Amino acid sequence: MTRSDAAPKARGGVGYGMDLEAPGMLWAALVRAPVPHGRIVRMELGPARRMPGVVAVVGPDEIRTLLPKGALEAERPVFPLDEIRYRGEPIAAVAAETLEQARHAAAAVVPVVESLRTDARIEDVFPEWPSAAAAKDPRVVGHVHARHGDVEARFRSADLVHSETYHTSGVHQVALEPHACLGEARGGKFRVRTSTQTPFGLREDLASILGIFESSLVVEGTWVGGGFGGKGAAFLEPYALLLAVASRRPVKLSVTYAEEFELGRTTLPSIIRLDTAVRGGKIVGRRVRLLLDTGASLPGRDFAVGYSIGFLLGPYRTETYEIEGFAVQTNKPPFGPHRAPFAPQSVFALESHIDGLARRLGVDPIEFRLRQVWREGDRTAYDQPVGPFGLEAGLKAAARTAGAWRTRLPAGHGIGVACGFWSTSVGAGGEARLSLRPDGLVILQGEREIGNGSVVHGLAVVAERVLGLSLAAIRVDYGDTATAPFDSGVFGSRTLGALGQAVERGARSLVTILAKRVGASEIHLEIKSGQVLVVAGRRRHKLVDLLTPTERAEGGLVVEGKFYGPEREVDASRVLAGSVYPYQDFTGAVHLAEVEVDRETGHLRVVRYAAFQDVGTAVDPSAVQGQVEGGVVMGLGAALSEEMLWTPEARLANPGLLDYRLPRLRDVPPIHVELIEGFAGAGPFGAKGVGEPPIIPVPAAVANAVADATGTRVFEMPLTPERVARALKLL
Amino acid sequence: MSFQLVHPSTPAEAVRLLSGSATGDIAVLSGGTDLLLDLDNARLAPKRVLSLRKLPWRYLRWSADSLVIGSTTPLRAVENDGEVRRRLPGLWEAIRDVGSPALRSRATLGGNLGRGSPASDLIPILLALDARVRVVGPGGVRELPVDLLLQGSRRTTLGPAELIESVTLPASAPSTYLWQRVQPVNDISQVGVATAFVPQGPHWRIALGGVQPRARRMSEAEGVLPSARPSHFEVELAAQEAARRAEFVSDKRATESYRRRLVAVLVRRAIQTTLERMSKATPSRKAKR
Repeated sequence: MTRSDAAPKARGGVGYGMDLEAPGMLWAALVRAPVPHGRIVRMELGPARRMPGVVAVVGPDEIRTLLPKGALEAERPVFPLDEIRYRGEPIAAVAAETLEQARHAAAAVVPVVESLRTDARIEDVFPEWPSAAAAKDPRVVGHVHARHGDVEARFRSADLVHSETYHTSGVHQVALEPHACLGEARGGKFRVRTSTQTPFGLREDLASILGIFESSLVVEGTWVGGGFGGKGAAFLEPYALLLAVASRRPVKLSVTYAEEFELGRTTLPSIIRLDTAVRGGKIVGRRVRLLLDTGASLPGRDFAVGYSIGFLLGPYRTETYEIEGFAVQTNKPPFGPHRAPFAPQSVFALESHIDGLARRLGVDPIEFRLRQVWREGDRTAYDQPVGPFGLEAGLKAAARTAGAWRTRLPAGHGIGVACGFWSTSVGAGGEARLSLRPDGLVILQGEREIGNGSVVHGLAVVAERVLGLSLAAIRVDYGDTATAPFDSGVFGSRTLGALGQAVERGARSLVTILAKRVGASEIHLEIKSGQVLVVAGRRRHKLVDLLTPTERAEGGLVVEGKFYGPEREVDASRVLAGSVYPYQDFTGAVHLAEVEVDRETGHLRVVRYAAFQDVGTAVDPSAVQGQVEGGVVMGLGAALSEEMLWTPEARLANPGLLDYRLPRLRDVPPIHVELIEGFAGAGPFGAKGVGEPPIIPVPAAVANAVADATGTRVFEMPLTPERVARALKLL
Repeated sequence: MSFQLVHPSTPAEAVRLLSGSATGDIAVLSGGTDLLLDLDNARLAPKRVLSLRKLPWRYLRWSADSLVIGSTTPLRAVENDGEVRRRLPGLWEAIRDVGSPALRSRATLGGNLGRGSPASDLIPILLALDARVRVVGPGGVRELPVDLLLQGSRRTTLGPAELIESVTLPASAPSTYLWQRVQPVNDISQVGVATAFVPQGPHWRIALGGVQPRARRMSEAEGVLPSARPSHFEVELAAQEAARRAEFVSDKRATESYRRRLVAVLVRRAIQTTLERMSKATPSRKAKR
C-alpha cells in the first residue's frame, strides 16, 4: 500500500495548523488564570494594550461590545464571567505583531483574584462514596442510574460475591502537533482555519459559543498532525476569532506543548466499584458504581457516565444488574474525548475484575469469559439484540496462542488476557460528492485526514472496490464547510464505517447510471492512457462519450452519496436516570500480553503481545494492521507510564514529555496481529470501525499478565514500577 | 531573548571573557542540553553566551594507568570508544542510557558534571572511579577529586571564571552502573547506583545518584565490604547500609520509600555484577602472563 499523502508528508509538502499564515497576520497569546478556583476581583488590560506591538487585548468585558449576542446567548462563556474554574483557564487574550510581543504582553496581565476552595480530586468532593442523593449536589454534572431484574435476590443467593475498587488516572492524547488556528472576521463574516477532526461539528460549537449564525462562519480544516479525539470541540478558535474581530486583522493562535497539557480536554481520573454475584460458575448479578472526574465541565455530562457504564457492563450476558454513576466537577480543565473515550479505563477495571474472579473460581480466564460472552442474538444490558460479533472467535484464537506461549514461559513471566468491545459510530451522518471525470474520480468530502489513512486512503479504497477503477485514478478532495457536503467528522471509528458508506452509495449510483447508459446490467471502470473507460462485457466505452453536454461542461458525472445511519433503540424502562446508548454494530477485541516482572523492584517489561481484532471485513488489511499496532502501542503507554499528575492545588506537575512518559521504541514488544473476519459490521462490505478498539483492552491485558506472574493484582493504572512494588508489598 | 554568542579559541581567552563579566550576564555553552531549557524558560537571561566549541578539549587520552577525557567531549564519543566499554564497563553503562542517541551526541562530559544534578547518571560512576577534575581559571590550573567539586543541584565549588578542562580516571576498573527509571529511554533515573573495585586502598566504592542534596559516595556501606570476595551476607549488609544512610526525597518521579527500596536492591545487584566482572577479568590477565 502506498498512500497518496506519504510522499508529500515526508517532503514537508502539506500544511498543518502550525503552518498557517495570512497577509497582515497577528500572533495571539492567552492570559491564563493563576488559581484553580476563584473570582477575578480586578484585571487591568490597559498596560498590556500599551506594550510594544500589541494591537488588541480582550477580556470578559470586551465580549459584550465585540459580540453582543455572544455574551448574552452563548451556551459557554469565552472567558469566565464570574468564576475561574481551573488553573490556567484563559481569562483574556492578546494579539500583537509578533509571537514574542503577544506572549510578553499576556504575561504582563496580572489579575487580582480571590481564591476559593479547590477540589483537585474526586475525593475532595466526595470523601465518602456518595449516596443517591448526590445527584442533586451542584458538583455532580452528570448522573446515570439503570437496573434490570431482581439484583438483590441474585446477590443474596450467590455462591460468591466478588467486590473490588479500581482507580484510573488522567491521560493526554499527545498529538504530535499542538493545537493551532487562524481566525479572520470581516463585515460580520467569520472564517477560521484550524487543525480539526470535525469541521462541521466545530462550526456548530463555535456558533453557539460566540453567539453567531452558523451560516456566517466557515471552518476550513488543515492537515491534522494527530487528533486522537483532542481536536474536535472548540479549543483555541474562539479566542482567535474574538481577537480578529477586535483587531480587524487575521489572528493566529497556537500553544506551547506545556499549554497543550495544561489546557487539558483529556481523559480524567475515575473510581470504579464492581460487585459481581456468581452462582454455578456463572455471573448472575452485577453492581457497578462509578465516579468520573469531569474537571471543570458544566452540567449536562450524562453522556460521559452513560458511555463509561456501557464499557463497565462489558460484552457479557448480564441477567441482573444495577448501575449508577456520577460525573464529578473538579478544578481541573474540563475532560475531553481521547481515543475510545472512557473505554480503556473502564475496561481495565472490568477485565481485571473478571480475571480475578475467574482465578478465584479456579477457572481458566479465557474459558470463564467464553461462558458469558455475547453471541449473535443475545441481548445487551439494555435489551438490544447483539449483531454479528467476533469476540468468541477472538477468544478461541487467543486461547491457542496463549497455550503456545505457556509451554515455554520463563519464571517471573505471566500471560494476561483481556477483552474489549466497541461499536462503529454513525455520528450525525455524512455525505460525499463523487465527480467521475474523463480522467478519473474525485471524491469531495468534509473530513480531514488525521494520520491513520482512513480518509485519504480508506475512502478511495471503497470507491476502488465498487467501481474497479485503480487507486491512482481516484483522488480524495477536501472542502471547507462552505464547499464540502456535510459530514460529522473523524471520531468514533466512523470514517470508513459511516462516511465510507456514503462513498459506497455514491459509487453504486455511478455504476447504476452508467450501466443504464450503455444498456448493460453490469459494468466496471478502467483507466487506459489517462482515459476512464466503462467496460460492459467485451464492450468498452470512453466515459467522455457517455457524458451529457452539461456534464462535460461541468467536468464530469456528479453524484451525492449520503449515509445517515439507522436509528437503534434501547429499552428505556431500564434507565431510571440519565441516558445510555444503543450500538450500531459489535466490534470485539481480544488481547494477550506476556510480561516479565522484577519481583524486587516492581519493574515491568512487556515481552510480547498479541491482538485478535474483529474487523468484519478488512477493506485494506495492511492499513488495519497499522491501526491495531498503533492502538496497542498507545494503550501500552496508558498501561505502563502515561499519567497526568496533579498536585493537591490542582497544578499539573508534569506538563511535558519528560515526565509524561509516552512509550518509546524500546518499550514496544513484538506485536502479533490477527484479523478476525466474517462477522459483518455496519460499514461498507461489512467493515467495522477499527480506529479505537485496539487501544481498549491493553491496560487490562497487562494488569492481568502481572497478576498471572505474581499472584498480585494492581488496582490502579498506569502500572508504574512503584505501583507494582506497592502491590507486591515491597514498601 | 537575545544575546551575543562568543567563541573563544583558547582556554586563556575563555577565562578572560568569564572574568570580565558579571555572573548572570554570561552563560557557558558546552553541549547546550541544559542551557537551552534554561534560556527557553527564562531561568537564565544572559547578555553573552560563551561557547566552548573551539577549545581543544574534545579527546580521550589513554595511558598505562589512566584515561583523561576532555570536558567538551560528547557523551556519544565516550560511549563509542570500544576501550571504555571493555575497561570501564560502569562508565560505559552510565553513559549509554543517558537521554537518547541524539542528546548524547550534543551533551558533554564537562557539562553533565558541571550541572551537578543529583539525578545525573554520570556523576555516581565518576565518584565510584575516584575521578579527578582538572580546572582552569584566573589563578591557573588546579586539580581536585570530583567529590570536592560537587555541592548540590547547579552548585559546585567552581569559581565564577573557572572551567572544567578534563576528568582523569583509572585506565581500567571492574565497575557497574545500574539505574531504575519508569522508562528505559529519555527518562530521568529515580536512583542510580555505581560500584567499582579498585586495587589500592579501601577496595570497594559505592556511589548513589537520585539522593539529596547531591550524588555521594556511601563510605559506611563501602566499609562493610573489606575484601575482594565479600560474602553474600556482607553484600546484603552493604546494600542495606547504603539504603539506610542515604537521604532521599519524594517527588513526582518516586517516593522516598521507593527510592530507598530501589537502592537496597540495586546496590546488591551492582556489587554482584562487579564481582562477576572481576572473576571474568582475572583469567584473561593470567592468560596474558
